[in-house]
Order: sequence, then C-alpha cells, then structure tokens
Amino acid sequence: MNIQIIKKNDISLRLLIEDTNAAFMNTLRRIVTSEVPSMAIDDVVIIENSSTLQDDFLAHRVGLVPLKTDLDTYNLPEDCTCKSEFGCNLCRVSLALEAETEDHTITVYSSHFKSENPVVVPVSDRIPIAKLAPSQKIRLEAYARLGKGKDHARWQPVSMCAYKYLPIVIVNTKLCDLCGDCIKICPKNILTKAGDKIEIRNVLDCTLCQDCIDACKKNPKALEVSWNENSFIFEIESTGVLTPERILKGALSILEGKLKEFLDQLVVK
Amino acid sequence: MIVPVRCFTCGKLLGDKWEEFSRRVREGEDASKVLDDLGINRYCCRRMLLSHVEIIDEIIKFHEAGKNLRPP
Ligand SMILES: [Zn+2]
Ligand SMILES: [Zn+2]
Repeated sequence: MNIQIIKKNDISLRLLIEDTNAAFMNTLRRIVTSEVPSMAIDDVVIIENSSTLQDDFLAHRVGLVPLKTDLDTYNLPEDCTCKSEFGCNLCRVSLALEAETEDHTITVYSSHFKSENPVVVPVSDRIPIAKLAPSQKIRLEAYARLGKGKDHARWQPVSMCAYKYLPIVIVNTKLCDLCGDCIKICPKNILTKAGDKIEIRNVLDCTLCQDCIDACKKNPKALEVSWNENSFIFEIESTGVLTPERILKGALSILEGKLKEFLDQLVVK
Repeated sequence: MIVPVRCFTCGKLLGDKWEEFSRRVREGEDASKVLDDLGINRYCCRRMLLSHVEIIDEIIKFHEAGKNLRPP
C-alpha cells in the first residue's frame, strides 16, 4: 500500500491510497463515521430557562455543539472502571452555562460555557445557543462524555468521510475534432483546450460522471473515462473535535483491535 | 427559529458562520461568494444558510415589548 497526501489542513485531509481494494476503504470509512469516539454533551440539567426556546429545544442545540476531544485522558463510559451510570471524572466532563440580561437583547454563544476541563471546550466560540430578551435567563448544567457515531450523529468526529476510485481520463487525439462540447459540460472543469488538442488539467477532481462521453458527438467516442480499481482518493473532513490524522489513527487502532478479537475467537474453536 | 448548530445532512458546524454570512449578504455581497469564502462547499450545507430565516428576531420583539408591560 502506498499513501500520498494530496491536501491537508486543520480540519480536512485528502489522500491518494494505492494498492488496496474497495473492501478495505469501506471498512476504514465505516469505522471513522461510527466507531471513533468523540466528546459531546449527553445529559443536560436545566435549572432555569425563561428564554423563548423550550427546554428540549435548548438541550438539543447544546447537545449538537462539537467539543474538543481528548481521547487519551477520557474513557468511554461503558469501558470506565467506575461502572457508574452517572460517571466519574475519567469519563465525564461537566459544563455550566449561565446567561441573563437586564435591559437589552443578547445572544448567548458557545463561549459562555464554563467547562471543568479547559481542554474540553466548544470547537468554536461563536455558535449561537439562544437569544435572550430583557429579564430572560438561562441556567443549565451539561454533562459531556465520549460516545460513538453509531449511537448518535453528534458523536461522529467527521462531517464528511468518503472515497472514490482514482479516475483515468484519456482523449483520443486521432478521433477528436476539438468541438469543445466535453469542455463545456464537465462540471469540474477538468478538460481544457491547449493548442490543437484537449488537455486534462486535474484528473483527481473528476467525479466519473461521464457527461463528457455523452456530450461527444463522435462515434466511436473520442474520450474514455475509466478508473483504477485498486487506487482510491480518500477524503476526511473533521468537525473540529479531533485532527483528521488523529481520527484516522484512531480508526486504524480500532480496526486492529477488532481483527485481534476475531483472531482470538478463531483460535479458541 | 434560530440558526441550526449543524448541517442537517452531513453534520458540519455552521452555527458560528451564520452571523458573518448574513451580515455580508445584507451588505450586498454575492451569497455564493460568501459561502465559498466561509469554506462551505457541499450543497447540503450551502442550503442551510441560504434558506435560513432568523424568526427568533421577530418573536423576541414581543418579549422585549412585554418587559415594559410587566409591573416593576
Ligand atoms: Zn468513569
Ligand atoms: Zn452539509
């Protein structure tokens, strides 16, 4: 297997992975979306709420706020040694939110959360939680814990994790009459006219839609769109709770654990 | 009512981008350019901001007015 980084920044990572197969890529994708844990608010105790938003509406919004996750310090509640339903400080973080206003309307932002652990805080300070009119008040206590995407989408560490085959676009210069229809129809602007031939600019952006082939009036067609079944473009976009590299590393160690468990069961029989 | 925290479809965090989006569009910028600038690329996320109406701003007026009616 050969891996090349195509694009990388704080929240997203795009890889070219060669010498593998769709089964492995899909395993990786499914583990990233449903097994890699992240931190999110699970229980909300509303002490006081006189805002225009009902308690359950408010709790729902608070639950969706992504929190920066520290996977090395915290345990999943089901694996924690405390075995308690309420949790201990190795599997639970409490955050308090208090806001009130006297004489003008305010917006309550995610920055108003006071976390007991300064590492576990909302990913962004500017998420509006509620708006308060004069003399309205919100007081609540929220309990965050690690969870998995398969239990609820708020624990999913990614907002996008997808793969596609490596596209191969070939223009047959002998058949092509440079009519330019394929250039116009391509939604990703992959094709361009360079002198007396059609050139392929960024083949990695191709979505394999094959619209260029339909647009070509030649018979047989002057273009060919195919893909390499053993090479993939894998892209992952984090919600900000973990770095994309950490999500991928986490996914691989979970896969390793699952394979080990599978092997152990085979040996016993 | 109030801007959703995340995209309904993919789960991308969008709540923190609403205020900048609505301000810049109100000032006359092209919505599609603002969305590109904010890094909102997928159409599921783009429609979240594009079609959002902040109704809470209308409802809260009744509460602002109600304050003056309440006895001190
Ligand atoms: Zn515990
Ligand atoms: Zn989306």
